[in-house]
Amino acid sequence: MKRKIQNFINNINLLKVRFWIQLTTFILFVYGGYFAIDFGSKLPMFTCPYNTQSAGTCYLLPLQHQLAMPAQILLGGAGIGVLIGLLTFVFWFIFLNKAWCGYACPIGTFQDWLTGLRKTLGIRYSTYTQNQFEKLSKIKYILLAIVILVPLLIGVGAIGNDWSAAFCKICPARMISPMFSGDFSQWVIDFSTTTAIVLTALGMIFSALFLVGSFVKKRFFCFFCPMSALHFIFSKFAIVQLRKDGSKCTKCGDCYSVCDMQIKDIADDVTSTNILRDDCILCLKCVAACPEDDVLHFDILNFKAFSSTKEGFEKRMGMEKPKGAFDE
Amino acid sequence: MSSLTNHTIETPNERQNRHKAMEAIKVLNTLREGFKTPPNAMEYFYNLFEEVYCNQKALHCDKVKVGTMCIQIPSEIIYALDGVPIRLCNGFYADDEIGSDLLPQKACPLVKASVGHLASKNVIDKPDMIYSPTTCDQKTKAGSIIESFGYEVVDVAFPRTKESEISREYFRRSIREFSADLSSKMGKKLSRKNLKAAISKIGYAQSLYHKLSEFRKNRAVPILGNDMFLVTNAFFFDKIDNWIAACEKLVSELEQRVQNAVHVAGKVSPRIVYTGSPPIFPNYKVPLIIEDSDAIIVADETCSSNRMFNDRVAVDEWFVNDMIDSLADKYLKACTCPVFTKNDDRIRRIIELVRSHNADGVIYQAFAGCTVYELEQRSVLEAMEREGISILYIESDYSPSQQGQLSTRVEAFVESLKIKNRNKK
Repeated sequence: MKRKIQNFINNINLLKVRFWIQLTTFILFVYGGYFAIDFGSKLPMFTCPYNTQSAGTCYLLPLQHQLAMPAQILLGGAGIGVLIGLLTFVFWFIFLNKAWCGYACPIGTFQDWLTGLRKTLGIRYSTYTQNQFEKLSKIKYILLAIVILVPLLIGVGAIGNDWSAAFCKICPARMISPMFSGDFSQWVIDFSTTTAIVLTALGMIFSALFLVGSFVKKRFFCFFCPMSALHFIFSKFAIVQLRKDGSKCTKCGDCYSVCDMQIKDIADDVTSTNILRDDCILCLKCVAACPEDDVLHFDILNFKAFSSTKEGFEKRMGMEKPKGAFDE
Repeated sequence: MSSLTNHTIETPNERQNRHKAMEAIKVLNTLREGFKTPPNAMEYFYNLFEEVYCNQKALHCDKVKVGTMCIQIPSEIIYALDGVPIRLCNGFYADDEIGSDLLPQKACPLVKASVGHLASKNVIDKPDMIYSPTTCDQKTKAGSIIESFGYEVVDVAFPRTKESEISREYFRRSIREFSADLSSKMGKKLSRKNLKAAISKIGYAQSLYHKLSEFRKNRAVPILGNDMFLVTNAFFFDKIDNWIAACEKLVSELEQRVQNAVHVAGKVSPRIVYTGSPPIFPNYKVPLIIEDSDAIIVADETCSSNRMFNDRVAVDEWFVNDMIDSLADKYLKACTCPVFTKNDDRIRRIIELVRSHNADGVIYQAFAGCTVYELEQRSVLEAMEREGISILYIESDYSPSQQGQLSTRVEAFVESLKIKNRNKK
């Protein structure tokens, strides 16, 4: 019986299942506000508070606000507040690990839909070269530094309050998310101060880049996402993990060729057991595309919840008994 | 009187055919009758080889035949463009002798035989064009020698390091170029539809091989290693639909055999993983000696068998270029050919085969003159020693001599494995 259930799960059409999960989470988190659903403000994904209908919001905004408190208050009792905020964030995070990106984040899902649109139009995706990839992949840490350092500088009085929530001002989610509930009011440049002009103008540019970028490149924005960088710090402690048994890996590169994030290690690293990398969105497409038994597996604690299998691979890639000849 | 005037003198081609038929039928008869209970479904393969190599029957008169010098030319693309891939690697001693006049004394017999075969112009299913991936030195040079016989040979650039990103890019481009070249020669375009259909069909053929391999993991092994070599060898030239149908029959027969625990070897026969230079029909010299010495080959790591079928293609968006890139990656990155700078992947594969098939030892055969396999022998032996896996290294060629010397060594190795197994209990 157990074997049967396992086989059933390992044979699923992951792309379909994922599409429906993403649609559900998208509706839940983007429009949940209409149904008075609220998961709080410490969620580990880009469900943006600027969209007033969000059912729970992104942790980066409260984090920036908390860190921007005057230094003496922050170092006093208020520090506990920051810590509790962080713990709440980590609490949410450990359940899904980076699957928050691949299955729940509305901004991620939106990019997948843009990808779907491109696919329907018959346009091929673009990729980075390995060199570009390595350089671009670091940007998210720079953005994470902005999320943390800018508020601290405000706190010590080094820069003015117009820098408050600076990251949010340049984040494309601020402009894109409210659009989901028909609110286009974020698409403006704030002329109140020079800083505001610069930040909101940058935001506008990044949002435009976001739309164009994610049309041509799969999960364009996720490479730069500071949330993804923050995730990675805690990813080892999550209860779900992506693991690999390198002894059976043949390096065929199937996992790499389906990876939206172009993570090379997934195919080439045969020594690490924990194969989750900082760019990973835990979409599990690699597991679904692996043609070897049990080489890649998605674990809940130490239980293999979804494993690569030959049979599952053949089903998903349409390699079962063919019906016609080639040139029909 | 008439018998004196009517006599005919055998032409060189006739003699070559006769010699090849002798070599072929000897092996086929051994497989048919020399072992206990070959599967009934094997009859298709015995007959196929007999028809092609003893009766010179052409299989693909109506199709464009695309010769390939190595496994790195994606057959998926050839099938998609309505061609038939014919792998030109050759195992005949008669052809090896012809090739010996054209290549250095110490060259690899496989290369000599392949060159000799094409030099003789006596080729059934003669390839209309030949693609030659630049793998090992001898194969690379063989391409231009074959060109001088009047064949159209196109080199397909192939990198010899596979870890670097440059190599990946390089081979992807190389395969794109190959596709474009073949496409223009065939006057047909690669489309999403025809390429996907070809990938699916090859994928299905591979899945049949995987099923057959799976059966060999059992304690009771339902098929001889030599029969498996024949099955995979047929993939070099057979009509793919016939091959698939024959394999389906074989799979269902073996399924039955596994249920009935039919074992084609003895109860204490050691289980062997075979690796090294590829056994190509009818050069089953070493595999036959192994299975004649009361051992059974349960798996192999060679390019005439496992390496052809093991790795498969996955594609995300199924656009033509995605498929080509993924094909290129598979043919380069997963390849365990010893021409590459590093040998780690091949060693890992051998160890994994030993573990998964519960093997007692490894037999590593290298053709005398097959430099890359000879060179790698050391690192593989070291790795096996580290893992505590028994291994025998032997050198051989295509000549019918050596039988005594080889069988003595193989028998001694098999005996030692038996003793080891007995002591374990």
